[in-house]
Amino acid sequence: MANVSGNAYGLSILSPIKNGRVLGAEIAFADLVRNRLQAWNNEINSPMALVPQTYLCRLYVLDDVVTESLPSGSLPDTWSDLLPVVPDSLRRDVMPVQDKLQSRYLVFCCNFYAGPSGTPDAYLRGMWEAINGRIHEIWDNCYGFDQVHNADNFITYMKKCQLTTSLFFNGSTDQPLEEQLKALYMKQEFTQFAIDNQGLSAATIRANYREFMQKTQINDLQHRTWQPGKYRL
Amino acid sequence: MSNIAGKAYAMNVITPVRWYTAWVNKLFFWVALKRPSTLSGLITLSLIHYARWVIIGRNQFPHLSPEQPKEKLKYSYMLFLSNFNGSWDQYVDSFTFAIPGGLDLFWKWNLRYSKSVALTPFHNYIQYNQLETIHYYNAYPLATSNDVKSAKNVSEMLADFNKTIDAGGDDEFLKRYQTLLRGLQHDLGAMHPTPIISMSAYQVEKRERWHAGKLDQYEEQQHG
Repeated sequence: MANVSGNAYGLSILSPIKNGRVLGAEIAFADLVRNRLQAWNNEINSPMALVPQTYLCRLYVLDDVVTESLPSGSLPDTWSDLLPVVPDSLRRDVMPVQDKLQSRYLVFCCNFYAGPSGTPDAYLRGMWEAINGRIHEIWDNCYGFDQVHNADNFITYMKKCQLTTSLFFNGSTDQPLEEQLKALYMKQEFTQFAIDNQGLSAATIRANYREFMQKTQINDLQHRTWQPGKYRL
Repeated sequence: MSNIAGKAYAMNVITPVRWYTAWVNKLFFWVALKRPSTLSGLITLSLIHYARWVIIGRNQFPHLSPEQPKEKLKYSYMLFLSNFNGSWDQYVDSFTFAIPGGLDLFWKWNLRYSKSVALTPFHNYIQYNQLETIHYYNAYPLATSNDVKSAKNVSEMLADFNKTIDAGGDDEFLKRYQTLLRGLQHDLGAMHPTPIISMSAYQVEKRERWHAGKLDQYEEQQHG
């Protein structure tokens, strides 16, 4: 399935946002979604940092589709220039038309570790369990979300909003997030170790290396590692 | 708005495609899936974390409730979503220079697609069709895609090296250690936060002040 690349999953969600304004407030549902997502940027870290196995994800509002408005340079363009007697409608008829969405959509696009199951169920359950309050904050403004009260409802809802990916390209790794973060920690620490131990005697380096491995605990994925979303050293 | 999270940039591009030709794009994607060698050009673009193409049929926009008006669209749409390192220009240019032919197949017959060469119309096309991200989260803002890949290599090689740590004398250990370093010379390197050059710079600055315990004072200055 194209949503999957190895153990990595590319989830593409389009949730229709309610039309109109919030009852008793002078703000459209879509703008409320936008404000709340913008407010997530002001927090010390993203609420998504709490969702297990999230590699990268984004949220935005699709207000409308894009209308292509450039001339094509095709034959009708040329004809209408050379032959003024040819009606201009010939040229205009081949111009792209303007599409207009009937609703605005919340786009949630996420890359995460799904494991061998190749389904988003466990991830979505983890998301619900970790941040269901924050999910409500955003998705309560979408059509159909009033039916969502628990993790099972949430998985069902999100699958209704899911689009199938035509091609998912994984240019990174598809390890569990804990392994990626531990590996980054090891890379950072070992780089410093290599610098600090240049030119020392064999016996000293060996002793220091043993101490280094004792300190870094390469097989312990929970401790001595980077936390999800870590943005400073 | 924040298209940037640490070293990653989130690009969203939506382009219309005639509903009766969208199968052509789907076919190219299907071939790319079945024959991964066709993606070798993309793999050389090691600055990409993850990227995807999603074709939304004109009748496939999710409809969740009877209250939601149904879409009446003339075109289908192709969404391109990418997570990459570096600047917008570097990324778009690298696409043009590394895989121009593949790019033209993926966007085949999308309306007013300029083709990937020449560069200026291609830049204009992507810019015109790009949508801004509001919230972007990255589990490892300090790392590039190459860091993630090389970290896996470092971790695996260290785990292997550990199996031999007690074998032989110190000089033998040193030889193995030096071999390890030579093997990892392309993978080692310290990671640091990027300079604050992003649309979320305000947030980054605010976080820095929070960590320094000066956020309240900063807020007071901002709001008088």
